[in-house]
Amino acid sequence: MISSPRLSCKTGFYYVFLYGSLICFLVIFMLPLLWVLGLSLKTREQIFTTPPLFLWRPTLENYFTVLSEKNFLISFWNSFLVTTSTVLVSLFAGIPAAYTIARYRFPGRKLIFFSLLVMRMLPPIAALLPLYVMFSFGGLINTRISLVLAYTTFSLPIIVWVTRDFFKTVPRDLEEAAYMDGASRTGAFLRVALPLAKPGITTAAILSMLLAWNDFIFAAILTNNATRTAPVLLSTYAGSETGTDWGAIAASGILVLLPVIVFSLIAQRHLVSGLSSGSINDARVA
Amino acid sequence: MRHHDRHHGSAISASNTGFRGRNYLAQIAKLADFWFIPLTIFPTVALSSAVFGFPLLLSLIMSFAAWSIDEPVLAADFVGLRNYRDLFADPVFVASLCLTLGYTAATVCLEILVGLAIAMLLNQDLPYIRFFRIALIVPMMVTPIVAALCWKLLLDPTYGLVDYLVGSPIIWLGDPTLALITVGGVSVWQNAPFVALLLLAGLQSLPKEVVEAATIDGATKIALFRHVTLPLLSPYLLVALLLRTIFEFRAFDNVYVMTAGGPANATLVLSIYVYQTSFFSFDLTLASAASWVMLLIVLTVCLILIATMRRKEPD
Repeated sequence: MISSPRLSCKTGFYYVFLYGSLICFLVIFMLPLLWVLGLSLKTREQIFTTPPLFLWRPTLENYFTVLSEKNFLISFWNSFLVTTSTVLVSLFAGIPAAYTIARYRFPGRKLIFFSLLVMRMLPPIAALLPLYVMFSFGGLINTRISLVLAYTTFSLPIIVWVTRDFFKTVPRDLEEAAYMDGASRTGAFLRVALPLAKPGITTAAILSMLLAWNDFIFAAILTNNATRTAPVLLSTYAGSETGTDWGAIAASGILVLLPVIVFSLIAQRHLVSGLSSGSINDARVA
Repeated sequence: MRHHDRHHGSAISASNTGFRGRNYLAQIAKLADFWFIPLTIFPTVALSSAVFGFPLLLSLIMSFAAWSIDEPVLAADFVGLRNYRDLFADPVFVASLCLTLGYTAATVCLEILVGLAIAMLLNQDLPYIRFFRIALIVPMMVTPIVAALCWKLLLDPTYGLVDYLVGSPIIWLGDPTLALITVGGVSVWQNAPFVALLLLAGLQSLPKEVVEAATIDGATKIALFRHVTLPLLSPYLLVALLLRTIFEFRAFDNVYVMTAGGPANATLVLSIYVYQTSFFSFDLTLASAASWVMLLIVLTVCLILIATMRRKEPD
């Protein structure tokens, strides 16, 4: 913290300046989203007025329209299915590896570890093209399974990196005590380390969930009308120009964002260090 | 048959009675312990090889071949570097490469400047500062497609809020120069909060004693920032720089929704180029070559990142 003793006795002007700039940034970063939230609560006539309307009686009409629309519900359901499956698959595959990488030294450990980082960092479009070829030969194009497989390219590294960091914070003594009591390696992992790393596993799961939910590029190519996810459906609204139903677009956008906001706030403490894939230590900001 | 039955039975009665069953389980446990490292590593290695290692190898091979997706795989001819030569002879690709490098440099610089400013503000010890820190998480995590869609509505020349506030109808996404700036601006809007929170974590980890000592020695605020804060923060700045470079270089979502590469290829970043070459022109070998050019560029940045991380974590 860079607040010196001298600063604390500065005049109120300094505080006005600080809060002024903070609020200024807040407006820049929040207003666009709040405005769209506003659009979703307006009727068609209220949206297309010049100058724009700043005070009105909010209506939920757009939400009723969107939630009764089959396309939206299907895509939402697809997003949900693909996201949960991605998280589960990556958790099952990734957690044992994360534990072993954190606890044991074995040849190839660093290689696996950094290959996973590279996997997360390389541009998805580069993996998408060969995956498309593979899936079309395997008959998996336009299935949700192909999407889950494609999503493990970013979700598996996140899970391994984040949970490894948490396994490292579990004191080794506890497992050693378990070994003294006759526990096996598997037993020490499942009964001692795993329960203690639970917060880390939750964080990792939320992070990979958010990334899978937010993905567009893989879903745009690997799905069709029946299997497309919510972001893909939303992107089809962008092509059409004014005259389309802004209220419905805004309402669908807000509905897609709701889970994102809820889960981001749950995982807020570890979001930044998770998103930087362990390249910084312990970025707990709030 | 009998053999099979015995195994089946022991698995069921393992927990309550069978002595024999416990023995059997103990043997499995012993084996699992012996093979613990390979067994735990295997799923991750297998899955990542299948969805990442193998595909990248495939695209590397494709980048040296003449082949189209409706032909059998074995019909592919090895053509050496022809695809790469074609690629660099394609003015659209070269323009796209330059554009992407420029776009990346500009957005990353802005994100770091804005992020640093916000991080300094958020680092003050003020009442309710937590509220501002948490609020910043929202734009950072917003689904990129939704963010781009929101901005598309906001920037609408007839009914958009931005043109109302500016006071004149500016066609943000229709003009070639302006479109690129606008698309980059939206990316800065979305990602500066991440940089801010990352640098804030750095600021909070600074050793307090050093800062206090400098203050007691009479360092001015500016001197403190230049000679104490900035050098101590540099590892975090480097990580922010590398990470954002990697992620801006792959820019796709915001561009796709807002301009789709247009007008007149003014926002045709490399990801969009590869996307169009693969899935509209279906020139998969040329697209593979282009994606390997992308991969090599990102891999270089990535190796620098790994080098900095290894320094931090020696074992």
